[in-house]
Amino acid sequence: MPAIEVRNLSKSFGSVQAVRDLSFSVEPGRVTGFLGPNGAGKSTTLRMVLGLIRPLRGDATIDGHHYEHLEDPSGRVGAMLEDTSFHPGRSGENHLRVLAAAGGHPPARVDELIDLVALRGAEKRRVGQYSQGMRQRLALASAMVGDPGVLILDEPTNGLDPAGIRWLRGLMRQLADEGRTVLVSSHLLAEVAQAVDDVVIIARGELRGNGELQEVLGGGGAPVTDVRSPYPDQLRDALTRRGHAVEHGPSEQDLVVRAEPEAVGIAAAEDGLTLYRLAPRARSLEDTFFELTADEVPRR
Amino acid sequence: MTRALNAELIKLRTTRTFFALTVTAAGLSVLVVALFASLATDLTGNDVRALFTADFTGPFILLLGAIGMSGEFRHRTIASTALSTPQRLVLMLSKLAAYAAAGVLLSLLVNLAIIPVGALILSARDEVTLSFGDHLDILWRNLVVAAFFGPLGVCVGTLIRNQVGAIVALLAYLLVVDSALSGLAFDVWRWGPFGGLPAAITGVGPDGEPDPDLLSTGAGIVLELGWLALFAVAALAWLRRRDLV
Repeated sequence: MPAIEVRNLSKSFGSVQAVRDLSFSVEPGRVTGFLGPNGAGKSTTLRMVLGLIRPLRGDATIDGHHYEHLEDPSGRVGAMLEDTSFHPGRSGENHLRVLAAAGGHPPARVDELIDLVALRGAEKRRVGQYSQGMRQRLALASAMVGDPGVLILDEPTNGLDPAGIRWLRGLMRQLADEGRTVLVSSHLLAEVAQAVDDVVIIARGELRGNGELQEVLGGGGAPVTDVRSPYPDQLRDALTRRGHAVEHGPSEQDLVVRAEPEAVGIAAAEDGLTLYRLAPRARSLEDTFFELTADEVPRR
Repeated sequence: MTRALNAELIKLRTTRTFFALTVTAAGLSVLVVALFASLATDLTGNDVRALFTADFTGPFILLLGAIGMSGEFRHRTIASTALSTPQRLVLMLSKLAAYAAAGVLLSLLVNLAIIPVGALILSARDEVTLSFGDHLDILWRNLVVAAFFGPLGVCVGTLIRNQVGAIVALLAYLLVVDSALSGLAFDVWRWGPFGGLPAAITGVGPDGEPDPDLLSTGAGIVLELGWLALFAVAALAWLRRRDLV
């Protein structure tokens, strides 16, 4: 059974349709990236999953239950929302104490979390004096209060320094390897690509791509091959005669061919042309993201 | 419910609002009681009774509840609260219970501050003093009113989620509308949750004397409970309808 299941979710704010008929599922033991341009509906979707926003249509369940009907919500689900807010006059430690008490978790858990997110020494300071990175760490600690099996993280890397981002990636990997479910939204595609097993891509509140990362990367557009030859003009003729689209590469000897490397190699061999280089171009998550959200992302 | 209540009580203890309001209410009340007990002459038993019916605590307890709840919206901590306690009914009940307890505690501390000060001064001046039983009678009535005012403030803070708006609305009602009603439309005022019914519970009318036109103490408690239920249902409906963004 999927840990998180979203079925036909729709939500409007006035005349703006934030989420349209969105469905996807998130499996346990995996890190799932939830991607989309700004305003795509990611945060709205996550808040509907968490019962903070009422959907217009559809529903979302965690372990088969609506969030508000979970027996032990903070023990089952930990959530770190984008722009998580804290009372500025309360210390970080006391904020965690409140959450631990609300979830019925032992006070000793607060100390463990302060160490886990490296806030030791700052725990008694008021949150109003925290830096953005410290607030992010406190928000992450808040999500981990109940040692939950499902973690929902909305833009968790905002405000973290490079070391913090690397630490967070490692933590997400570790949590997934322990069998937990991690759903993480981010607009930093390079970071997500390094950390996730699966991706859900949305734009304008609609699903644009969903599945294992490699599957999604391989699924869009024609294959592209980089090729270098001392006879670029003859090679271009050979390839266009066989119906392959060819573009100029970075140098006079380079060509970019919309075909599999095998097809390029066969064409060159049949026409007796020497090749110096024949390399399939790996598609990046960024390439796929821009293709799938082409109507949404502004081009420069 | 117990966990949510416990969390709310920790929230109250870990910011300065509760302490600041308690100290201010106690300070003002002690000042007024000390001045009155020192300067007034030919006091009657009713005068002294009115003196110890701590008028200053009511607005402070209402403000405490309103600030506590509207602060959740102002500081955008309501999402975190709702994630810990996702059922809005439980969330609302825990807030009401916590601020009822906070109201009682605030009122108790103020009463414990004013009773010895006022009694000592009156005794030193050979003015009328109250018996221990009279003080206990005043105390429980004050505590009952405080137990209503804390949750009523929470409801106001839910319905008017803008914190400044909630505070201004409460003060405007208490200082302008309620005062005007007590003078101009007593028959309306005596049924109200912020003036007439608390007066019925304490037994002290708007002019500081027992008033035969006030409702009985029992009726005051029952009707105030009705008002609180009405406010709480409205606040809960509002909280359930709202998207917490």
